[in-house]
Amino acid sequence: MARRTLAIRLAMLLALWAVWEIAARSGLFYEGIIPSSFLVLDSMGRHVGDPVFYGHLARTLYEVLAGFALGSAIGLAGGIVVGAHRFTDEASAPYLHGFASTPKIVFLPILMLLFGAGPGSKVGMGAFSAFFPAVIAVAAGMAQVSPVHVKVARGFNASFLQIVRKIYLPSLVAPAITGMRLGLGVAIIGVLLAEIKFSDRGLGHLAIQHYNFFRVADMYAVLLLTFALAVLANALMGRVGKALLRRPVPA
Amino acid sequence: MPLRVAGVSKTFAASDGASVQALDDVSLEVRDGEFVSLIGPSGCGKSTLFQIIGGLLQGDRGTVAVDGNALNGSRRDIGMVFQEESTFPWRTVLDNVAFPLELAGLGKAEREERARRFVRLVGLDGFERKFPDELSGGMRQRTAIARTLAFEPRILLMDEPFASLDEQTRILLGDKILQIWRELKQTTLLITHNITEAVQLSDRVAVMTYRPGRIKRIVEIDLPRPRSSEIIASAEFGRYVGLLWQDLREEASRGMADAERTTA
Repeated sequence: MARRTLAIRLAMLLALWAVWEIAARSGLFYEGIIPSSFLVLDSMGRHVGDPVFYGHLARTLYEVLAGFALGSAIGLAGGIVVGAHRFTDEASAPYLHGFASTPKIVFLPILMLLFGAGPGSKVGMGAFSAFFPAVIAVAAGMAQVSPVHVKVARGFNASFLQIVRKIYLPSLVAPAITGMRLGLGVAIIGVLLAEIKFSDRGLGHLAIQHYNFFRVADMYAVLLLTFALAVLANALMGRVGKALLRRPVPA
Repeated sequence: MPLRVAGVSKTFAASDGASVQALDDVSLEVRDGEFVSLIGPSGCGKSTLFQIIGGLLQGDRGTVAVDGNALNGSRRDIGMVFQEESTFPWRTVLDNVAFPLELAGLGKAEREERARRFVRLVGLDGFERKFPDELSGGMRQRTAIARTLAFEPRILLMDEPFASLDEQTRILLGDKILQIWRELKQTTLLITHNITEAVQLSDRVAVMTYRPGRIKRIVEIDLPRPRSSEIIASAEFGRYVGLLWQDLREEASRGMADAERTTA
């Protein structure tokens, strides 16, 4: 990255922090609504040092990862099936795109009826959320598989299975990664929303607990930690994606 | 005869219910080690013929035979190079070139050793580990050619492989093609709409008519071998270009009139 970009990013962060601190100290807001950033930082430090926090973190991580894995797996497989024929693609498009743009949180009551009020319904929310980007990206990717690549393989007398393994699957890596990146983002959103609505543990639960007892600085601290986690997850996903795209052909 | 195309015809059903005859009784032979070009205006059925000879499409009538054996299903003997971008972007140059060897079940060490030879042959040594998006268009098309050569086909069949490249790159790549052709004594059929390219490379040039595609004339290019692109400056070269254009002019005009009528 260019030095200048980095400098501008740092400046933006500093400006944001300055605005926050000025707002906190201005007395314009009802006391405690915007706590001083130092109070928040202090609270973040206490959270990171507190074993109770890790219990919540572990629950959220479990729900996000299990939901994401489940939703992505079903989504990737579903995308291949849907995208295999133009007919199935066209027939299912309005449902997939319709559902994809619906806020999944409205289905939380159903998921709670199905999987209980515990982590099951949160995993369900994560899976439900991650499913749509994956299935849509892979179905679109199937349509984008280059016909000339298939012809090249046929010209070299490739078998049907060889064409699937050596042309279709590698062509789908890029769309699958795109879908999974989006999927991870919405899985995190889905799980946290569900935790905030109704749960006994998890980062969303912790944040809403702080809110209920008006521990505003603590609430901000949890939100910022959650934000950092999401950024980290996204960066990690990007790394994995790059590695997959540029991996050598196995023997 | 290495390649014998005999009486191939093909008619397509058009969307409005009418039918278009793309090829009408096309016959052509390519001798051992010969470089033959098939030239014709856009829409003369060149690409249809390419697909039929390559075995990707079935003709309505006629046969394609390699060394006297009619092709049915098995196309082991013909290696195709496509006009479109066809390298696999997820594979390195070396893995692209090794692709047909991988399909044939060769081990990693052996196929890489063999692939290296063809990478060198097209002048891409040093780029084995690069990915296609790190190469120029001309280098990508050379990768595709090396990949087909690694298949070691009896006949090399190319469909306007340089169509997307600029004129100067195309002429320079012509030199490369001639060098490879000499080295491998590769029997080659090139499909093209570029007159200069056809004369620069070929022993014989077959001119096709516009719709339905027929072989109008076959011109022997009696220019000395080995050739380099410098030959373009010679009077003889110009005479051949002129001769072919005389044949093609009428066909290309018909094609253009047709295209203008359908867009009107």
